[in-house]
Amino acid sequence: MMENQRRLFLKTLTSLPIIGGAILAANVVFRFFKPTAVGGLKGMLAPPDEAGSSVQIVADLSELTKPWDFKDFIYIRKSVEYSSRKIQGAKIPGFVVRMPDEFTTSDPKSKFVVVQRICPHLGCTFNFVKAPEELAGGYNYNPPPPTHPYFACPCHLSVYDPTRKQEVALQGLLPGKVVSGPAPRPPRTMSFDIKDGQIVITGTEGGGVG
Amino acid sequence: MVNAIPHLFHGLLRAPATFLGWFQERWERMDLFDERHVERSRTNPWYALGGMWYWVWILVIISGVILMIYYIPVTDQAYHSIERIQQNWRWGPVPIGAICRGLHKYGADAFIILATLRVYRMWFTGEYKQANEFSFIIALLLMIIGMYSGLTGYLLIWNQRALWATKVMATFPTYLDQNPAWLPMGHLINLSNQGKTTAQILLGGTSIGPATVTRFYAFHFMLSFIPMIFFELRVYRKGFRRMNINHWAKFAVFCIILAIALFIPAAQGSPANPEVTPNPILSDWYFLAMYHFLKLQDPYLATVLTVAIPFLVLAAMFLDRRPERAWGQRQIFNWIGIGGLIYFVAFSFLILNGIADLHRDAPLWYFSMGLFLLIGYGQDWAYVMKRDGKRWYETFHLFFVAFILVAMSANTLYHYFGDIRDWNVLGKAEMPKVLARLRETAPLATPDMAYEWLEQHHPTLNLWLTSGKGPRKPAGMELWLFHVVAWLGIIASGIVVGLTRWGRSKDAEAEAQAAKLKAKARPAPAAGA
Repeated sequence: MMENQRRLFLKTLTSLPIIGGAILAANVVFRFFKPTAVGGLKGMLAPPDEAGSSVQIVADLSELTKPWDFKDFIYIRKSVEYSSRKIQGAKIPGFVVRMPDEFTTSDPKSKFVVVQRICPHLGCTFNFVKAPEELAGGYNYNPPPPTHPYFACPCHLSVYDPTRKQEVALQGLLPGKVVSGPAPRPPRTMSFDIKDGQIVITGTEGGGVG
Repeated sequence: MVNAIPHLFHGLLRAPATFLGWFQERWERMDLFDERHVERSRTNPWYALGGMWYWVWILVIISGVILMIYYIPVTDQAYHSIERIQQNWRWGPVPIGAICRGLHKYGADAFIILATLRVYRMWFTGEYKQANEFSFIIALLLMIIGMYSGLTGYLLIWNQRALWATKVMATFPTYLDQNPAWLPMGHLINLSNQGKTTAQILLGGTSIGPATVTRFYAFHFMLSFIPMIFFELRVYRKGFRRMNINHWAKFAVFCIILAIALFIPAAQGSPANPEVTPNPILSDWYFLAMYHFLKLQDPYLATVLTVAIPFLVLAAMFLDRRPERAWGQRQIFNWIGIGGLIYFVAFSFLILNGIADLHRDAPLWYFSMGLFLLIGYGQDWAYVMKRDGKRWYETFHLFFVAFILVAMSANTLYHYFGDIRDWNVLGKAEMPKVLARLRETAPLATPDMAYEWLEQHHPTLNLWLTSGKGPRKPAGMELWLFHVVAWLGIIASGIVVGLTRWGRSKDAEAEAQAAKLKAKARPAPAAGA
């Protein structure tokens, strides 16, 4: 009885190479599903694919003169695609908001809050909500007075305050502090410059799903 | 303690053979579509569920294959090809396309309803007992596969609901890369980027696009077809009847789905637009409760819990070790089932009415969960007392009750009366200094404002956001650490103690066997001499 079990125990041990072979075969399948994967342990720890950025003009300063003027724009990002085309242009919606003077400094860039409109919670496109009634009715958030517009996501009702900043690991303080809902961090950012009276996007923060 | 180590070792040594036997027994008894309940299904419709389920599955596959002929899996044509199938594909007055699509859509809904009912039947009657665990596991697995097949299927329509549901579903795994630093190995798991890689494999790239549609098309077909092939192989080898219902029942099921398809044409929604998320946005009905669950939780926790739910169900199944199968004799497990049903209905109702408040609602659900378990435990306790004719204190499982009470009250009290800031010793010590400094310029500064300043300037204090409304996180880091340590400790010690006991009993058995053999063998030489 015990002999048989010992034999089986040895069999279990010798089956380990077979399991190893199966893992190697799974590796091939994995490469099939993710053609950009690198092999070996290095591949396992390599960062996942990231979309590429380019320089695009998205807004004119003459459109954003009064406080709380905003413009929604579409930024085209080069997205990796696992097909014969290898790359596709993914539309990344964004917001640029002109902040009132009490929230700005002497730096001209501080007059604007530029964010990706993709909710960092689970990827829906959020809105710029001006009416407090709409925030209370549609997004379950009663803004404290004095009220001002907020970013609010219709999917899981996260609300972001563009006037306040929140710390994000490795990124520092970002505008759009989460004031309600399950979002873990402020919206993803876009780096921008002001050139010849135009707002130019120079890059986007990665992560998430486009 | 030291004497137990050989028993533990023998237990480990015996485990593979015993597991193989355990596996084979269950493999033989496995009941996939109630094919072992042919007699019973004639009088009890609950046992015809399996046959109906299989029949609906075939209907869905056939109608799906017909739809494949006219469907175009390309992002800019998918929506219009569905529109053409729905409206233009007619044969005289008969809207063939609409019928096919209705059969496919409502058939899939029926598949999930029947699968759910069957899982509940198995759960409430304890059908997984008597070496029948695999039947239940397969039933649960097929239900989940059905739901995922539905999810991959409705992206193909390429409407708003599909796009946003896919986005939510694909962003989900990325939270598996955000394990908190206090979790053992958490940082190492994050480094391997398994979550983002999963998302990218699902989507076929870094964003939703043409590759996503192609992949989902493949997954959709694969998820429903491969299990079917395995089932057919088993039918071929074992030679049982495929469906336990007669042709009239099949015809009736077909007619019901056909009637629904004719009278309520399958909806199409508006074309997908990645620039606008409609408000409100909802998922298909079977994911509504899950969707509401996301609103009540920190996303990392929600991801982990959602993945954990099926495993928790299976764990609960393996905890139900007593042979009793009658309703009144296993009340804890009944209450787990009833609780699940209540959450499903209540969450669906709440999301349809747009009621969700992270701060107010979540503790109520924790509390009710503990309450269900306590009610079930009380009933079970009464039953065991009666069965064994014992007094209450003789059957009192102090540890179990204490654990539920502690977990429940800690969660609930903490939410209503506690404040994570009081638990954070460093933050609490730092706050008065900051407050004093703030009051130099603003005399009316409050402790809340001091905490907010601390949170912004000293993120390493882990104050976890105190935005005036009390703690923002559903539960504090310390509480979850307590849960993780407690549960892992209980599971690990349970495994070690169980293996040791089992090894000891087996050793005792083997010794008794050897003694018996010895006793038998002794008279022989005596007789020879």
